[in-house]
Amino acid sequence: MSENNEMTVGGAFLGGIWTEIPVLRLMLGLCPTLAVTTSVKSGLTMGLCVVFVLICSNAVVSMMRNLLKPHLRILMFTLTIAAFVTIADMYLKAFQPEMSLKLGAYIPLIIVNCIIIARAEACAAKNGVLVSVVDGLAMGIGFTMVLCFLGAIREVLATGCISFSDTAVLTILNPVDKGGWFTPCTAMIMPVGAFVTLGLILGAVNQLSRKKA
Amino acid sequence: MFSKLKLFIQESWLLMISSVFFGGLLAVTNAAWAPKIAQNEISKYNTLAQSVLTAAQTFKPLAQPLTLDVGKGKTLIADVREGLDAAGNRVGWVFIAEGSGFADKIRLVVAVDAKFETLYGFSVLACSETPGFGDKITIKNGFYQSQYQGAPAGKFTLAKFGDAKKIDHEIVAITGATVTSRAVVDIMNTFVVQIKENLSQKGLLQ
Repeated sequence: MSENNEMTVGGAFLGGIWTEIPVLRLMLGLCPTLAVTTSVKSGLTMGLCVVFVLICSNAVVSMMRNLLKPHLRILMFTLTIAAFVTIADMYLKAFQPEMSLKLGAYIPLIIVNCIIIARAEACAAKNGVLVSVVDGLAMGIGFTMVLCFLGAIREVLATGCISFSDTAVLTILNPVDKGGWFTPCTAMIMPVGAFVTLGLILGAVNQLSRKKA
Repeated sequence: MFSKLKLFIQESWLLMISSVFFGGLLAVTNAAWAPKIAQNEISKYNTLAQSVLTAAQTFKPLAQPLTLDVGKGKTLIADVREGLDAAGNRVGWVFIAEGSGFADKIRLVVAVDAKFETLYGFSVLACSETPGFGDKITIKNGFYQSQYQGAPAGKFTLAKFGDAKKIDHEIVAITGATVTSRAVVDIMNTFVVQIKENLSQKGLLQ
């Protein structure tokens, strides 16, 4: 970031996928992170929706940044974000109805996801369209990576495998009910599994950062 | 007056233009995808209805809607359909039953025989119950669903322990998901009994 608070494209990208990765560094977007990561597929779908909303809302906010009145800016951000979230929600209902049902209220709740409004305020309202779009893309990718990683750990420990569809199932740990040795841990797809896994990941990331410092 | 109007426009023109733009964008998106969304819902209903009432080829909605009392002074118009075979003979009834679950609303597609005496079973249209526990109600022919297949179409009671293989009015709860198990029993008791009474009053039961 330069002295006049403007970001570079490279800085925005690196920030989103590592130095300011939303869930692990900024501690933003924890609600969907804990709620929808019962499987990789759910996490990936939620992540991609957030990528779409972040890119579009950052682009629009960046384009209108010089016209924004300070007292109306939050209202304008919310209006912009709500429009794109509604589009993402309708898309899922039309083309991924099963996943739309599974994610339920968490897709419309992207409107109040702190990551999106935080990036509109911290980046898009102060930077050009290209930097804002890259920031949205990188933040979205960072968020999606964490959701998929968390989802993979929880799904594997809860079922022994990762399901991409009814037919495409990748067996990682052969469960007892399929003649294997692994006893699935149902608690991993419950909220306690999400909290424990996220806590361990946060601890590992903090440990890595400390070593580097 | 004019200065106030000028100030209002100066302050809010961007908000007004944005509202019109995003409203238009959503209207266009809705126009493009609404038929697909509606078709998805119809397809899902038909698939589920067919899975619980296998003998039916088509599902004909009732000419007159049935109004049910769903408690707390609320009423609901029930979606009841007649299941017809290829020759057009009635082979059963299918209806959507819904109520509050542990996490959110549970919506079921329930099938009953033509005389409304025996349940064929149910399928789950919408359910956000706890994974690994309450969501066991969605398992096709699983422990919980099987208890309704062939059960008498009347009032059900919930038991924490019992013989789940015995098909009667007593439903054995899923371990760790009593609230969800009770919710389904309550939904059945609300819908099955009232729909049966309504159809009987209209002279639609043989």
